[in-house]
Amino acid sequence: MEFPAALFPSYFGAGPPREEGGPAPVAGWGEHGQVLEGGPGRRQAQPAFVPRRGATGERWEAADAAAVPVLLPSAGCWIPSPAPQDILYRSGLCKKLRAGKSGATLDFARQLGHFFVDHPEDAFGSLGQLLHKNFYLGNSKLKRPARSSTIRMTALVEDIDRLEARRGCPRQHLASRLRWFSHLCRDWLFEVPLGLLADCLHEELMQQWSDLLFDDSLTGGALAWLPPEDGRTPVGRLVHPGGQAMNHLYFQDVVLEELPRARGSPAEFELSGRIRQVAAARVDGEDFVGVRSDYHCGVWRVPGRTGAAPAPLQVIRTDVPASCLTVSPHLPGELSVCTQSGTVYLWSVETGLQQLRHDPQTMFFRDHSPWRWSDFTAHPRVLSCADRTGLQCLDARAPKKCHFDLFKVGEEAGCQQGERVVLPMYLGRAHPSQYLVTTQFSVYVLDERLPLVPVLKWAHMMKAPPLFAHVMPGNPGRSHQVLLGASRTQELLLLQYRGKRSSSRGGSQSACQLAGTPQKLHSIAGCLQHLPTQLPHRQHLLQQRLAAPAAGLAATLQEDGLHKSMLVFQLSEAGDVFCQRLTHKAAQPPAPPSRDEDTTAPGSSPLFEAPASSPQGLAAALRYRRWLRAFSRACREPPRHTWHPSLSQRRLFTRRDLEGPAGPSSLQRQMRQRLHQAMREGGRIQRWEPLAVQPPPLPQTLEPAEGPDPLSARLTAAWGGDWEQWWEERSSFSVAQRQRALRERRRRQKRARGCRSLSASFTSSLTYQSELSELSDAGTSLLSPGCPPILSQESSPPAGSPAIRSPPASPAPDEALLSSQSLRCRGIPKERRKTLRDYLSVWAEGPPEPPEPPGSQASQLCIPSSQSQLSSASQPRRKRPRMGF
Amino acid sequence: SSHEHKLNFRKSKEACLNYIQDALLQKQWKRAAEFLTCYVESLEKDYSREHIGPSEMIWRIGTEILWHHSQSSMKEFNCFMEQMKTLGVKRYLKVCLEHVFHLLCNGQIDEAYQNLSLAESWRFGEQTAIQDKEMKLVEAYRGLLDYYSWSKQKNILLEHGEDGFSDLAVEQEMHSYFRKAAVNLKEIIKIPGVWDVFVKCYVDLLEFYGDHNEARQVLNEYAYNSKFPANPNAHVYLYQFLKRQGESKKSLISALKILHDIVPSHELMIDFNTMLQKSKKRKKRRLGLEVIFAALDYAGWKENEKGWSCLARQVKQIVISEKHLDWIKQEWNSRKDWWPAFHFSRYLAKRNWQENKSLSYEKALVAGILLGKDCKYFKHISHQGCKAQLKRFRMLKKFVNRHNPVYLRISG
Repeated sequence: MEFPAALFPSYFGAGPPREEGGPAPVAGWGEHGQVLEGGPGRRQAQPAFVPRRGATGERWEAADAAAVPVLLPSAGCWIPSPAPQDILYRSGLCKKLRAGKSGATLDFARQLGHFFVDHPEDAFGSLGQLLHKNFYLGNSKLKRPARSSTIRMTALVEDIDRLEARRGCPRQHLASRLRWFSHLCRDWLFEVPLGLLADCLHEELMQQWSDLLFDDSLTGGALAWLPPEDGRTPVGRLVHPGGQAMNHLYFQDVVLEELPRARGSPAEFELSGRIRQVAAARVDGEDFVGVRSDYHCGVWRVPGRTGAAPAPLQVIRTDVPASCLTVSPHLPGELSVCTQSGTVYLWSVETGLQQLRHDPQTMFFRDHSPWRWSDFTAHPRVLSCADRTGLQCLDARAPKKCHFDLFKVGEEAGCQQGERVVLPMYLGRAHPSQYLVTTQFSVYVLDERLPLVPVLKWAHMMKAPPLFAHVMPGNPGRSHQVLLGASRTQELLLLQYRGKRSSSRGGSQSACQLAGTPQKLHSIAGCLQHLPTQLPHRQHLLQQRLAAPAAGLAATLQEDGLHKSMLVFQLSEAGDVFCQRLTHKAAQPPAPPSRDEDTTAPGSSPLFEAPASSPQGLAAALRYRRWLRAFSRACREPPRHTWHPSLSQRRLFTRRDLEGPAGPSSLQRQMRQRLHQAMREGGRIQRWEPLAVQPPPLPQTLEPAEGPDPLSARLTAAWGGDWEQWWEERSSFSVAQRQRALRERRRRQKRARGCRSLSASFTSSLTYQSELSELSDAGTSLLSPGCPPILSQESSPPAGSPAIRSPPASPAPDEALLSSQSLRCRGIPKERRKTLRDYLSVWAEGPPEPPEPPGSQASQLCIPSSQSQLSSASQPRRKRPRMGF
Repeated sequence: SSHEHKLNFRKSKEACLNYIQDALLQKQWKRAAEFLTCYVESLEKDYSREHIGPSEMIWRIGTEILWHHSQSSMKEFNCFMEQMKTLGVKRYLKVCLEHVFHLLCNGQIDEAYQNLSLAESWRFGEQTAIQDKEMKLVEAYRGLLDYYSWSKQKNILLEHGEDGFSDLAVEQEMHSYFRKAAVNLKEIIKIPGVWDVFVKCYVDLLEFYGDHNEARQVLNEYAYNSKFPANPNAHVYLYQFLKRQGESKKSLISALKILHDIVPSHELMIDFNTMLQKSKKRKKRRLGLEVIFAALDYAGWKENEKGWSCLARQVKQIVISEKHLDWIKQEWNSRKDWWPAFHFSRYLAKRNWQENKSLSYEKALVAGILLGKDCKYFKHISHQGCKAQLKRFRMLKKFVNRHNPVYLRISG
């Protein structure tokens, strides 16, 4: 692709952004930005100028008054994610107190109370058992001998009830009895020390709250459209998540008619975690679909011909939540993965994982967000990686040495203070060297060949940051369509930009221009005003359902003959997929006050009032009726558990898991024997290697040398049965020591937060998937707290070919034994498995560092760039504080 | 109370703005205009200390509406812009520039020039850094328009010159345009930035008056000053200038070498490769191979027939001479794990054959040599070619079969 002969003029500065920032509601209007000579002159003698923004674009008009559902709502009620009122304090008193003050108050006490009530075993389990003799719950007076060692709880409960009744009263005083009791037992009653528990809960609440404000785990969107291969048959495929926990992956055939219609039943895969992102790319006529959940990423291959079944290829699991998964548009079966620990991997289905970068710090200045992103570039071996501060490109053949800066939040791109990268996207389908970067304020188009200077910049004015983007390349000489989507507000914006002259000059490259005006498309919630009024409570449910944050965006262009139209699909967090059609109007002088000004005025609902006027309107109305009926059916079903949903254990394991292993392998038998022996002797197993293997010298352990650690002593005692005696000895230990140990453990697990209740593997409902699930379950759950988190990988071997193992992390036998399955085989009850694993993990050695690719040829392989000299990679750079950014 | 009133006023202002925004995003210009007339009231009580104040909002929204509104005229637009210029001192230059841009895009060059001159003479106290930049831009654009006038005069003069008589007045006018343009253009290109248009015009002026040293210095500065962004065009302009000056091959090659280092995928790499291939020096020919291999790494070059024919020609040369096979081997080493899937898959063989036969011919030659005669791409293309009874494809098959041992040496 040629480089434009001349670019629009712009200043270039370095350093932190100077312009003061802030959301500006109209910042994108009324500006040409710059002009450049170009295009055919009107009169030969005079130069003709084209603006950077404001050139005429294509006209797209919405065909319907609102978005129309594509699929019927799934059975079973949707579980909304927590709303602000769930975790914020909402007492009237408190509201008054903080009126004027900005910021929200988290209702911490209520949540802690919930925890004690919902999980009494976890909160007070051991002490409760030990002390239950000393608590008396009856009404009668206690007799003398018992009185010295027993507390009557009834009075306490009465006091608490009284307190509850007076809640909100400003003059409430604690009953002295309660105060006395809490003083007495605050330090020892709780299974987890109260201070620590409170810390953890507060942290979790803060996390939930920040997710409510901005949830970046959805970045990229969980909806993909796989167009028909030849473009002749109007049947494409929609890949979307569904189910109550959004953990089912569907590949649904969709026929593109006036209203897109689902055909046949979808191919369905049940996964073990909530699906956060679905990414797809077409290479050599085949679609590769990458699916990301918090701790697992998987890749499917979908053959081009219609009707062919999607085939799962590989699954990897991460110790730290993955934040990005993109599929290579260049090479089949290549993906890039980022985790929140700041690691970027190139993942090839054939050769496994290659770590390209590991840097928990952000690139250009300090920013707290652990979000990372990565995508492909025009060079198949060069990947971009991004964090909130900017983008760098690095060569996978020598990632440490060869990289250049593509985008920086700073004066280089004319950013505002506080601006942060939200979504980078490779625009390869429109132009091989162009890149889209969105921030909360602006959208940028970058050209790899001219790094740091955006070739296009526009303030998008969206109310929420655009987390989703989709590009539809236009034919040569036409403009490309870019769709931006926000999550919380469901906003959808259509932009057009041009990189080629549309004139008779032969379509040579010209500088990028933003064409036409941005256009707002219908959001899902927008259809509410067109729907017939419902009963109040149902109206409320409907409103809640339709206003669920958007979770994905996909679109396709459809051309038949002269008619060109665009279909835009939007996915909501509730799993609903809505669709709208935009029709292309041939360029013409602005029409007299157009029809749309009347039809979309608030209050009118042409969908239901005048369905007969057009057959299309009728079809949409019918579609709505069907959807509403199915929706109300799904919601009428009484929820089985009135308080909180719980998952049955059966769901956590596949049937085959529950049947038990066919027979333990010799290694497993041996290990079981050793375990039994160790238990009998009351000893501990230091290493899990088979006895035949010469044990390597013990690593420096984390524990001090004096005696067995308290946990193992407690476990030993617990297995031995004389636990109470152990406790009495133990109670002399200082609480501070316990706190320290737990805090340490918490710190280790802090990053690995998330949806733990779902089983630890991808599973699927299709039978030929079973080996995949089995492998991933029996695989390597690495418990190496000290070392940097690594990806452990399992693969499902294609039939007839040998199993592929990733080179970096071949699981050591002890790790395999620690998996939940193997522990279960040993008859260790579920609730103890975690403890045992934690205990044993102290002894597990960290796996070896993945080997660096040989760098001998590095200088030759380098992507040459002027920037690469500036930032020599080897020396660790210190990040500047975020002053001024 | 007055506080509440203020609060309510703010609220209704916000609501009004939301309506306007909504209308604009749905291209309902008429509705937006109606709301905007209400919004103008917000100027009265402008207590906001926000990033963008109401007066700027009105300017932006109003401009956008006037661009698109079916009943707006240029006269109205100009009138609106004049009002907006008086509305905020800080924004005066910005509004002027935007006004000029709009005039330029509508072909009203003379009006634009007048506006630029007016803006240039504007003075108001101390200027901020942004205003300083805007002033420089105003001057630069005026310089650009002066340049266009100059080149118009020049053309007149040249035409007349052919007729054999010269007009002194026209010539003098031309020189005065030159001076005005040169002063302003020279200023802006000193500041780091992307100034492609200005640099091109300035160099054109200098070249016309024979100041080649100054032109060379300007272009060198634009290309090599590290404070400027790594703009490929800067190197292209320098290369084109050197070519025009009839410089030696050596200096042309060194200019393109730097372009190659910055943008290996630049379209000039074909010229570069051709130049290097012709060279007698081994090192240069070696560099040529590197250059063309590196260019074909990029997705944009996948179907570049010229690029593939360059590679095919050089590879063929090397294979026939049987010298420097190690060059190919070294280049191939870092690519052999991904080029087959990227360039030489069966799918691509089918598609290339259908879409562009000569591209598939060049690619098949390269594939046959790099991957041997059993490679999918080569097999498919040569099969199709022989089936279609095309002579060159039969020759290709023979050539590859004869030189199959080369493949073993490259891959070994």
